[in-house]
Amino acid sequence: MSSTMISSHIPDLDLITTYAQREGTFFSRVSPWTKFSGLLLVILLITLTRNLVICGILYLIILGLYASAGFPVKKLFAWYTLPVLFVISLVGIMAWTEPGTPVFSWTLGLFTLTLTNNGVILIVTLLLKALISVTYSLFFLMTTRYQHFSAMIYRLFPTPLDQIFLLAYRFLFLTLSMTGAIFKAVRSRGGGIIHSIRIQGQIFAEVFALVFIRSFDRAERVHLAMISRGYSGKYEAGTEIPRPGLSGMVVIGVFCCVIAIIVLMVPNTGGIS
Amino acid sequence: MAHIHLEDGSFSLFFVLVWWAAAIILVGIAIYLIRAEKKPDRRKITLAAFCTAAAFAIFQVSIPIFGGVHLNLTPLIGILAGPAAGSLVVLIINILSSAIGHGGWGLIGANTLVNIVEVVVGYSCFRLLKSTIPAFLPRAGIATIAGLLCGNIAMILIIVISGVQGVNQSPGQILAGLSLIAAVNMGVAVIEAFITGLIVAYIGKVRPDLLGEEK
Repeated sequence: MSSTMISSHIPDLDLITTYAQREGTFFSRVSPWTKFSGLLLVILLITLTRNLVICGILYLIILGLYASAGFPVKKLFAWYTLPVLFVISLVGIMAWTEPGTPVFSWTLGLFTLTLTNNGVILIVTLLLKALISVTYSLFFLMTTRYQHFSAMIYRLFPTPLDQIFLLAYRFLFLTLSMTGAIFKAVRSRGGGIIHSIRIQGQIFAEVFALVFIRSFDRAERVHLAMISRGYSGKYEAGTEIPRPGLSGMVVIGVFCCVIAIIVLMVPNTGGIS
Repeated sequence: MAHIHLEDGSFSLFFVLVWWAAAIILVGIAIYLIRAEKKPDRRKITLAAFCTAAAFAIFQVSIPIFGGVHLNLTPLIGILAGPAAGSLVVLIINILSSAIGHGGWGLIGANTLVNIVEVVVGYSCFRLLKSTIPAFLPRAGIATIAGLLCGNIAMILIIVISGVQGVNQSPGQILAGLSLIAAVNMGVAVIEAFITGLIVAYIGKVRPDLLGEEK
C-alpha cells in the first residue's frame, strides 16, 4: 500500500505508475499505439457482443495477459469493487423482472420477486464486460510509460483540453499524495473514529475544502513558476511515441478479423442498433 | 454515489456513438467559449487542471457514512470552475475514471453528458440564488441537490432512450427500475449536498475569490 493510497478498493495510481515506469514486462516494449488500438477493439467487441461464452473467453485471455505480466491479481480483484457495484446498481433491479425460466423466487408481503435464467445471464454478461474493460485498461496503464501517455494526450486532444489534461495528469500524483497526507494527519488526531453523520461530514468537508484550497494555492504558484520559465500558454509533450511494429500490426489485424467473424457468425451478437 | 457510472457493454454501438457525438458537441462549445475569450486567462487553465486533480483525488476517498460513500463533486466543479471549464474538467475526470474502471470507455460520452448537466445546473443555481440566499452553505447545498437531481433525470432519460443490452423489458418497466436507483442516488445526493455546502462555506471563509465573490 503506497503512501498516497486512500481506499484499498480503488486502483493505486502510484503502484500502477511504478509498474509502468519499471518497464519490467515484454508488453512494456509494445508500442502504446498498438495497445491503444487493442483497447478500442476490446471496447468495440464487448459493445457488439451479448454472448456470455465470448465474454468469458475474452475475460480469461485479458486476465491471463495481466497475470503473465506479473501484475498483482489479488489487488486487481479488490479494484473490481466499484465496477461491480456500478453494474449491480444498474441491472441488479432490472434482472428480477426479466422474462425467462424462474430459478429463484422471493415473496415479500404481497409481492413475489422472481429471478429468471435470463436475469442471471444479464447480470453475469454485463459484469464480465465491465471486468474485461477494467482489466485491459489497467494492463494498458501498467505497461505504458507516463511520458508516452502525456505525448498521446498532447496528440489526441484539442487545446485547451490537452493543456488541462496534461497539467492535471502531472498534478494528480501531487494532489493524491497531499490528500493521503491530510487524511493521515486527521486519523492520527482521532479523526478515524466513527462520529455522528454531522461531525463525520464536517471533518471530511474540511479536508476536501483544504485539498481544493491547497490545490489552488499550488496552481497559482506553479503557474507563476511556469511563466518565469517561459511558459506562454502552451505546455508541450514532445516525447516520441514508438510506432507499432509489424508484429503489433499483425496482432491488431487478426483481432479485427476475429471481431468481424464473431459479429457475422456467432449468435447473440449485433448490438449495433 | 449520487449517480452511477455506466459501464462498457451497457449500450448498443449506435447509442454509444450517439451519446459520444452529443458530448463532443457540448465539449466543442465549451472549448469554443474558452478560446473566444477576448483576454484569455492562462491562469484559468492551471486552476482547472488542479480542480481536475483535486476532484479526482477526492473521488478516491470513501466517507464512512452508511457503509461508505464516494462523492463526485460535479456541482462543486461547476461552482469553482464555471460551466465551460467545468465541462472540460468532467470529461477529463471521466477519461481518468474509465482508465481505472469507474465507468466504461464507450460510455464516456453518456457519463460526461450526465456530469455536464450537473455542472451547468449546479453553477447556474449557485449564481442565480446569490441575492436570495447569500449564505454559502445553504446556497451550495441547494445548487448541489438541483444539479444531482437533474443529473439523475438525464441519466434516466439516456438509459430509457438507449435501452440496456440484454434487457427485454418495456421502457415503462425500465423506468420503474431506474426510479428506485434514482431514489437511492438522491439519498446519497443529500449527503453530497451537505458536504458540498460545508466545503463551499469553508472555501468562502478562507478564499472567497475562488468562488468569484468578494469577502
